[in-house]
Amino acid sequence: MMIRRLLTAAFAVACLAAAAPEPSGPKADQAAFQAYFFDKFPDVKHEDFGNGPYAVNAKMRKQWQEIMEFPPYDFALDEGKTAWETPFANGHHYADCFDNGGIGIRQTYPRFDAKTGQIVTLDGAINACRVQNGEKPLAYQTGMMASITAFMAESSRGKPFAIEIPNDPRALAAYEKGKEFFYSRKGQLGFACASCHVTGAGQRLRGDILAPALGILAAMPIYRSDWGSMGTTDRRFISCSSQTRALPYPAQDESYRDVEYFLAYMSNGIPITGPGTRP
Amino acid sequence: MKTLLLIGALTLLASPAFAATQAEAEAAVSAAKAEEARAIAAQSAWTPTEDALKSAAKALEAKDWMTAKANADEALALARRSIEQSVEQKSLWRDAVIR
Repeated sequence: MMIRRLLTAAFAVACLAAAAPEPSGPKADQAAFQAYFFDKFPDVKHEDFGNGPYAVNAKMRKQWQEIMEFPPYDFALDEGKTAWETPFANGHHYADCFDNGGIGIRQTYPRFDAKTGQIVTLDGAINACRVQNGEKPLAYQTGMMASITAFMAESSRGKPFAIEIPNDPRALAAYEKGKEFFYSRKGQLGFACASCHVTGAGQRLRGDILAPALGILAAMPIYRSDWGSMGTTDRRFISCSSQTRALPYPAQDESYRDVEYFLAYMSNGIPITGPGTRP
Repeated sequence: MKTLLLIGALTLLASPAFAATQAEAEAAVSAAKAEEARAIAAQSAWTPTEDALKSAAKALEAKDWMTAKANADEALALARRSIEQSVEQKSLWRDAVIR
């Protein structure tokens, strides 16, 4: 009789444990996401994840250290600094549009804008600033946009990502959409962002070492040898889409902004390393 | 004998009975375009579909109805598969989430 009662109680406890919902929500996602990469790459210092493939492959790291003797993004930094210091036609500056004069704030983007209910990227905020001051918006993928974001990223180097998801259902919805995008297979080749940057992280895909998703945005914008020029996060997303044979969306499409929000939030605590350089 | 049979078969295939008409080619292109528009609206379109549609449009211009229809049929199949992929992924993506 006693044994039967004990067995019944044990069964009930097991059923309750099985039925208990998994922890969910951004914080639980972030903890699981970071733990996955810390377990997968136990020798990588956590703050090094912002260096992408160079954090996980010793040969590439050596080549990168040599490249960094003359960083290929230096010209963009100079151009960005000049643009930053040059007033708009109305006499205002970029600095007037941002907290702390735009210095050391890159790690707080993308942000949720409660007025529009949309995610605002740093690049989007730069163009909003230009339009507010009577200037034409910049093209999003390369050129001056990459130079200005390079200048802003450089002023944030070492500052850990600090993305906030406010208690607003629209912010949470944007985060969830970004998460869905990140894990959904797309294109004729049927690749998700996660296929390369979670499952394949650290492995070789043809000539490339795939960067871990954790900290992958910390180095943006980047100079890619493959491009022979600087590129923004939009350029990278668009090029990733094409590589899977998915028809890319326009730069700053809501889907791209949402996945950037998700990825940046997953990387909270990883320091900014941008501007960066990649093969 | 074999050569004669081959020539006969090729002649038959090239005859009007086997070639697509202009109307068939145009209908195939417009069906493929409509399906691709659905794929684009669902944000699930593929680049090879666009390539096949461009080839179909080029063949239409060149009045090569058979090639136009073949390319349009390929585009239609690709567009359909891309939509199916997005429908499948609506639930499957959750299996990939890091937990």
